[in-house]
Amino acid sequence: MPQTARRKTKPSIHVVHAIGEEPIFKAGDSVRISVRYPVGHYRVPTYIRGKRGRVEAVIEPRAVNNEEEGFGRNAGLKRHYYRIAIPLTELWPKYSGSPYDGLRIEVFETWLERN
Amino acid sequence: MQPHDDDHGHAKTTVQDDPPPSYYEVMETSVRELLVEKEVIGADEIRHMLEVMDSRTPALGAKIVARAWVDPEFKARLLANGRTACEELGIDFFEDTQFLVLENTEKVHNLLVCTLCSCYPREILGLPPDWYKQKPYRARAVKEPRALLAEFGTVIPDDVEIRVNDSTAMLRYMVLPQRPEGTENFTEEQLASLVTRDAMIGIVRANTPNRKEQSR
Amino acid sequence: MNGTENLVKRLPTEMGGLDAGPVQRVEHEYAPWEKRCHALANVLDIHKIINTEEKRRGIEALGAEMVEKLTYYERWIVAFANILFQKEILTPEELAKKMEEVAARHQGAQHNE
Repeated sequence: MPQTARRKTKPSIHVVHAIGEEPIFKAGDSVRISVRYPVGHYRVPTYIRGKRGRVEAVIEPRAVNNEEEGFGRNAGLKRHYYRIAIPLTELWPKYSGSPYDGLRIEVFETWLERN
Repeated sequence: MQPHDDDHGHAKTTVQDDPPPSYYEVMETSVRELLVEKEVIGADEIRHMLEVMDSRTPALGAKIVARAWVDPEFKARLLANGRTACEELGIDFFEDTQFLVLENTEKVHNLLVCTLCSCYPREILGLPPDWYKQKPYRARAVKEPRALLAEFGTVIPDDVEIRVNDSTAMLRYMVLPQRPEGTENFTEEQLASLVTRDAMIGIVRANTPNRKEQSR
Repeated sequence: MNGTENLVKRLPTEMGGLDAGPVQRVEHEYAPWEKRCHALANVLDIHKIINTEEKRRGIEALGAEMVEKLTYYERWIVAFANILFQKEILTPEELAKKMEEVAARHQGAQHNE
């Protein structure tokens, strides 16, 4: 095909993204919080582990893993945090409030799995 | 009295009337003095930081809320990027903190908590109340928010969605309470006076104007 | 198997979902030393000596009994001391000596009245 048929309004730039630069998840994705038990410092509360929810928003910019930051590691691979919505009925089997009541919580990318 | 203590001119009685400093107060003073002696921190830095901290009170949050209530474009900017909107009003933040303002509406009621520690929007509201940092609130907010709200006198109808926001990373939150009824002619200042710290945590609504004010 | 894993798996500072009673609507006016302690935390963070996460981890590492029995800023200052030792910014001995000196000031002032 001739170049003119593929003319775009701005020049396309081909960039190879570094590992972790692109968010793995996007708003609306169904996710599950991983289940693992780090010894010592963690920032993912135990009450959400293994629970299922939805990505409400990708938080920008990328940032360091706050669990590693606790050990004084301020540098390192930056990844995204995500604002996750989890219904309270998913967290608590006997939840008696509205079925629409929910938790909003920021979770680092390495703690999320596609559901 | 610690020799290095700047108490902003409190009238002090004689030293022997002061209770002795606690073990932990002695520890704090000692750590601070050693760090200054070793030039790890500057001699004036703590005092300056105290001034910064003292300047952060719920009045700042109330001002932001009142402005959002009267100015829809400011409100839109506030909800899109809390930090830059606050910077418009001269309120700055530390480091990488991001600030998300959560709007309460007819359909949604937001509540703030930190179950892992005590994250709180200190740059806007100052230091949090003790109860926010203690077990009952932090344990129950994510599990039974309606009962907790009711304990504070706040009843949320069943058809309103409650969102409990648990801070775990660099996002700090503040609730933008609903504007109370009967305030159509209020000035920004009058509106701000209705907004309490607890309303910006989301545990209560903003105050309604009392009858006395309405008759002005 | 002695069933203590849960002490390791769940941090003593984590409260979400635990059974708890009514909220005590307590509010105390912060003592000057507590505010100074908070100011110290902010200054150490700005200097990148102790960041907020390190502080949190330091408090968690105090263990369940101290977390329960020390008040909020008492936990902070002990955690700071531990972290500063670990980073070789202070030594336990110099802190202990300084604490003796500071504690003696109050007594010394009293005797001088």
